Amino acid sequence: MINNKNIAELSAMDISDLSDWIKELPSHLSSKQYSIAKEIIKEISVRLQFLLDVGLNYLSLNRSSKSLSGGEAQRIRLATQIGSELVGVLYILDEPSIGLHQRDNQKLIQSLKTLRDVGNSVIVVEHDKDMIEQANHILDIGPYAGKNGGTIISQGGPKELLKAKTLTAAYLNGELAIEIPKKRRKGNGKFIEIKGCTGNNLKNVTVKIPLGMMVGITGVSGSGKSTLINETLYPILNNYYFNGVKEPLPYKSIEGLEHLDKVIDINQTPIGRTPRSNPATYTGVFSEIRSLFAKIPEAQIRGYKPGRFSFNVSGGRCETCKGGGLRVIEMNFLPDVYVQCESCMGKRFNRETLEIRYKGKSISDVLNMTIDEAVDFFDQIPKIYRKLKTIKDVGLGYITLGQQSTTLSGGEAQRIKLASELSKRDTGNTIYILDEPTTGLHFEDIRVLLNVLQKLVDKGNTVLIIEHNMDVIKAVDYILDIGLEGGQGGGTIIARGTPENMVKNKVSHTAKYLKKELF
Amino acid sequence: MKNFDEYIEVKGARVHNLKNIDVNIPRNQLVVITGLSGSGKSSLAFDTIYAEGQRRYIETFSAYARQFLGSLERPDVDKIDGLSPVIAIEQKTTSKSPRSTVGTITEVYDFLRLLYARAADVYSYKTNEKMVSYHDDQIKSLIVESYDNKRISILAPLVRSRKGHYRELFEQIAKQGFVKVRVDGEVVNITPGMRLDRYKVHDIEVVIDRLKIDEKTMASKRLKDSILMALNQGDDVMMVLAEAEKKPRFFSRNLMCPTTGLSYPNPEPNNFSFNSPKGACLECNGIGSIYKVNINKIIPDPQLSIKNGGLAPQGPQKNSWIFKQLDLIAQRFNFTLSDPISKIPKEAMDLILFGGKDKFSVANKTLGLSREYAIDFDGIANFIEHQYKTTDSSSIKRWAKRYMDKIECPSCQGTRLKKKHCIL
Repeated sequence: MINNKNIAELSAMDISDLSDWIKELPSHLSSKQYSIAKEIIKEISVRLQFLLDVGLNYLSLNRSSKSLSGGEAQRIRLATQIGSELVGVLYILDEPSIGLHQRDNQKLIQSLKTLRDVGNSVIVVEHDKDMIEQANHILDIGPYAGKNGGTIISQGGPKELLKAKTLTAAYLNGELAIEIPKKRRKGNGKFIEIKGCTGNNLKNVTVKIPLGMMVGITGVSGSGKSTLINETLYPILNNYYFNGVKEPLPYKSIEGLEHLDKVIDINQTPIGRTPRSNPATYTGVFSEIRSLFAKIPEAQIRGYKPGRFSFNVSGGRCETCKGGGLRVIEMNFLPDVYVQCESCMGKRFNRETLEIRYKGKSISDVLNMTIDEAVDFFDQIPKIYRKLKTIKDVGLGYITLGQQSTTLSGGEAQRIKLASELSKRDTGNTIYILDEPTTGLHFEDIRVLLNVLQKLVDKGNTVLIIEHNMDVIKAVDYILDIGLEGGQGGGTIIARGTPENMVKNKVSHTAKYLKKELF
Repeated sequence: MKNFDEYIEVKGARVHNLKNIDVNIPRNQLVVITGLSGSGKSSLAFDTIYAEGQRRYIETFSAYARQFLGSLERPDVDKIDGLSPVIAIEQKTTSKSPRSTVGTITEVYDFLRLLYARAADVYSYKTNEKMVSYHDDQIKSLIVESYDNKRISILAPLVRSRKGHYRELFEQIAKQGFVKVRVDGEVVNITPGMRLDRYKVHDIEVVIDRLKIDEKTMASKRLKDSILMALNQGDDVMMVLAEAEKKPRFFSRNLMCPTTGLSYPNPEPNNFSFNSPKGACLECNGIGSIYKVNINKIIPDPQLSIKNGGLAPQGPQKNSWIFKQLDLIAQRFNFTLSDPISKIPKEAMDLILFGGKDKFSVANKTLGLSREYAIDFDGIANFIEHQYKTTDSSSIKRWAKRYMDKIECPSCQGTRLKKKHCIL
């Protein structure tokens, strides 16, 4: 025991408390103990300070790393890296600001600057406005996405960027903006009320969630947003509507379940990472296309079933490359080389299968279409059309149906997922739960996404968004702000209401930043 | 070499959708790459610059070493100059192991372990007293201080709470020239052929010395020698028993509780690690939570009878061994399988859930004889738990989990550590 605490008690403290405890420690130690502990204490307090610097004060040491969000895990690694004090290293970070409240963002930028100032190069892939404005140098890649991107459209300091004629610049200098809706929806007057939630740091929270509008759940990192929504509300709904097995965290009672009939959760887990997965297979549209091909007279004459048009089972696929279109040549200790399959020329199917054509296109030609082309091509087939249209609506018109999932960017993959959920028929009484849907999205992408979500709400559905991004928060109809701080300092609802009413709150951190956006 | 200090030069990058781009990225600056989702930001940063950095690093290994590393694809780029060692901090690198915590990935916990191993005060988990370790001179001065003008015996513990007759031990002690031992609290002379009750638990200490402490003791060599001797005999532990006192006091070169003699080895950082067998709680192996059978999940509705599927893992009655056993139990305790579970006597339910052995006879009236039946039932709850722990099949594991709850480990209260280390 040291200073009346054992090691398990220390692990349970959050990092800011632990840091205070360590700072006070020397005065509680005997001189012998101190001389032993001096170096260790120094090391611990330095590391804790790095963690505080990247805004992770609310975590505790015994928190399982399984339960960390992607952004949190990344910032922990960042803190460890800053602690290593290497110089001359090139650091590459992928959107470190994800999941970070505006308040903590500045801390993060500061720690990146520290990393730079000790003599390292830092490259950040980022959409965050503050980060862009404080960078030394900015590369803007575009102008659009996919086939229409891939060139550098502007380069230089923040000031030069503002003058450039690019989408990013337009949003930064205010030429374009994500609009604040003129009218906030009133909702349908119904509520879901969940009472007495006590999971993790929640302090007996009772919350009324209005239905029929877009509801934003905000609050600094670690304040308990995910605990309330993902760990308590969603499992309850999922149990109720679909007999889900996950146990919700403790709560007393819930009312108003009868006002809804379906819950759809769109979370941050990535979609398949095998080269055989592609947008068409993931959204399920490929099954429909295969059924369509099997119904073509020529296919019926030959007795082809939908399986014939799959590149994952033998029958119709090219057996040389097993439907991959590419062949791997192993070079032992040199990198593997991929060559186009010589027998199908990358078409993935055998000759007989390719002879079946719909409107003059073979199944392989269809896979090489962009979504935009495919939407026009299949406009007569409602099932296929509807699914493709949702992919187009989330702004992914440029990807091809057969593009391997491994080559999709993080934001693209997430939107595919979103599209496949959105293409499920909404009932008008559906509740959608989205956890930080703007992850990896550019301003322009966010605008497109918001349009899709607004349309859903217009049909009477409820959309629940856990979000830090102010552009989204300002566009919702109703805000629930959880706080005040992260960890033990959080877990209560501190503000609720329309964005306009909510900003009047004096204590909420979100309100403070939202005010800047609204006025 | 002109501007390597200032720029990372990328020439002709064509990874994914990049259109053969040339770019100079300033070094030692904070550079942001932005653009629409899917425009090629990650392709440039990760799939070109980072991939090339990694590849070059791996190339520095011998061909032999490389075959174990797996090879990295050369990114489709003409040339990258001025590249420093690259570290990517991505988002998907978190470990999904239940053993990984914030403390371990930040390595703060490793330092805390060190701190506790080297600078903590130790408290006995039995008495909550501070545990102490002494070196020989400290023991001496402590004895002189606290036993002033008292007659004391210095003892060296040899056997602590173990069974045996210890005849050889007494012979050995006698050969070394000691004449007295303290057996189970009684000081006795060693007699030839002395032996103890073999089936009882004994404590044996050898009496090293008996002396009176006064002002001369400090200077004399006798006490010091006796202490040394006692510590050698007692494996770094010795006891002091004052005349007319019952309880001896313990002194040790290791950490020890002075009243009970409970001793710990000097703590090592390992003892605080829940990933080491030396520190992990034995019940949950350092995970902090265990799966335990939840009776309420086995019997979701006590109003249901066993016949109608009241025992969820068994389902409704079928012609199986288990139901025959259940039927036997029912006969034994005078209920039937169609009774609602809430009506079944508690004893019988305990047998059904947690198993047991029983024998009873059933008289068959028509034949006029009685037959012995033996019940040997594992218990449904035990069976589920056993299946969960031993099976290799993930589907059986999933089946068992349906009737189990994840609960905080009862023996370490979720701290993941052995109790005795936790209190350190």
